[in-house]
Formats: sequence, C-alpha cells, structure tokens
Amino acid sequence: MTTIMGPKNLLIAIVLGGALAAGVFVATKLNRPAELQSGFVVPLPNALPDFSLLDQTGGQVNANTFRGQWDLVFFGFTNCPDICPTTLQVLANAKRELIDSGATTLPRIVLVSVDPERDTPELLGQYVEYFGEGNLGVTGTLEGIKTLTAALGIYFEKSPTQSGDYGVDHSAAVLVINPDGEFSALFSAPHLVASYVHDLPIIMGDD
Amino acid sequence: MVWNKFPVLAVLCVCILISACGGEPKPPLVATDIVIIEAMPGKKMTSAYLSLTNHTDAAISITGVSSPEFESVEIHESLLEDGVAKMRRIPELSIPANTTVLLERGGKHLMLMRPTGTPTQVTLSFQNGDTTLLSVRAPVTPRNN
Repeated sequence: MTTIMGPKNLLIAIVLGGALAAGVFVATKLNRPAELQSGFVVPLPNALPDFSLLDQTGGQVNANTFRGQWDLVFFGFTNCPDICPTTLQVLANAKRELIDSGATTLPRIVLVSVDPERDTPELLGQYVEYFGEGNLGVTGTLEGIKTLTAALGIYFEKSPTQSGDYGVDHSAAVLVINPDGEFSALFSAPHLVASYVHDLPIIMGDD
Repeated sequence: MVWNKFPVLAVLCVCILISACGGEPKPPLVATDIVIIEAMPGKKMTSAYLSLTNHTDAAISITGVSSPEFESVEIHESLLEDGVAKMRRIPELSIPANTTVLLERGGKHLMLMRPTGTPTQVTLSFQNGDTTLLSVRAPVTPRNN
C-alpha cells in the first residue's frame, strides 16, 4: 500500500528536520575545541602602564619586562599560606603539563607582591623559585605596585589580625599578558590545572 | 511465634546485634586525611588540612589548636568574595553532631606559625577551653601537587 504524506504531516516533518539540524549545529558548536573553559579573552588588550619595580635579583622591572613572552601574572604575598601558594602550584602544574604535552609556547609565571613592605626581592625570589625555574617575582615601592594594579583593575588592601599582624585581601584573578606587553586575557578563581592546560594553548595561539 | 519456627534465624539476629554493639567504641572526634604542608623557603608559617568527624549526637566546639612544633596555630578560612581572596581567623569551629567538617585548600584550614625547629612530624592538639579533645601526629609533606 502506498501512503502519500499529507500537508499536515509534511509540516511536522519539516519542523522535526529543522529541529534536528539545529540540534546538530548546537552540538557541533559546543564540541568545538577552541571554546575556552574558564579563561576570558579581553576584547581590547590593554598596554601596561609606565611603572618601575624590582625583580627578585633587585633588577629593574617595567612594562618592557613583559614584552617578548606570554606571562601569567598573579598578585599575592609570601605570608599568605593558603590561596597564594595553592594558586602558584596550580600554575606550575599546568605549565609542567603543557611541557609534557609538547607545547612549544610556554608562559612565564609571575608573582607581583601586594605586600611590598614585607616582601623583599630576596624573600620573593625564594618563594617564586620554589615553584620552578624561570618564574618572576616583582616587588618594590607601594606606589609602584599601585601604579600597576590600578591600571589592571587589581584590588588589594591590608587586613589587620587580632595578633597585631596583618594579611592582605587581594584580587584572586590571574592575568595573561601577551608578548606585546598587553593585558589580553584573565582567569578568575577558583583556578584549575585542567582549565589552564585546555585554555592557554588557545589563548597563546598554540593549539 | 516466628522465632520458634526459625530458631536459626533468631540466633543469627542475636549475633548480628551483638557484633553491632560490640568492639571498640568510636572516639567522639576523629581526624583523617591529615596533610601538613612543608613551609615555603624563608617563611615562618604554613598550612595544614584534614577532615574532622564528630561521632557524637551533640555538636563539638573547637576553641583552640596547639602544636609543640609551632609557637601558634590558628583556624583560618580563605574566602573568595567578588573575586577578592581574603583570609579570616575562625575563633571557634563547631563540628555538628554526626558530621564531618573538611579543612581544605581554599577553605577552612589550620595556619601553623613560627616553627620551633624544622619539623618532619607535627603533633596537633584540638582543644575546647582547657580540655583536649583530640591529639594527632602526622608527617610533613612537600607542596608539589
């Protein structure tokens, strides 16, 4: 017996077909490897301001220091026992995984102190080098730090403790500085190794 | 009566009840998964993480922690508020009845300050006022994963 599709059934078939095509399209888009997991690319990269600080050897650090390589910049302090070392360990582990996966473009890990009063270049050097070779520690005058953080929208403020000591509240984001010395992407907390390993090659154009 | 018809079943049930009630009683407060992180080079503080389980039917309050290997131990909490990382001291940690509280990275944790030496093993004592609730000893582990 032959069945001829009526206009109503034809309409249903067209709608279902369209829905299927839309579903396949959305699924394809969601599976695209170029989608970032947690990184966010800044639409218009910002050049770093004119600032002058010190690295862990006492050498000058300015905007030019951030040209020529990709940098992952975290703002923290060495008297921070939980968030700061945990974040730096995540960045170090992500970098190690990128090396193991054969990535050719690798970021430098940078810690900018938000406690320059206590974080001398020597202390900062011991701290950042604990997480691997080639890491950069940045400290200096409070004014110099503020020039950099204000331009990048980084917040920090001392928080007194009961014992008369103090901690420092600070933005938890990790900023990505591109080889032109521009703030071009960021990762918000919480920081996960897998997200960096997935997103960094895309951001750095090495996927 | 059912027990008269099934004497083996009755004996089995009694055995199960005895075994459930027997054995060592559980301590009221138990610490597991203890991780004491080695101090960073040049730093006089570090952190420790663990799970605390209250096996009683009443809340247990921890008002102090001490260690012979550190001059001071405090319970702290790392907070993430509007993208800002903060750390605050918790003066009193309550473990609700029959509940486990996690002290973990990025959350509640112990801050160990001013080591008296270079410890490889650390004893932690949890107190409520002058009463010691629990003492545990665990090795120091490297911070590499």
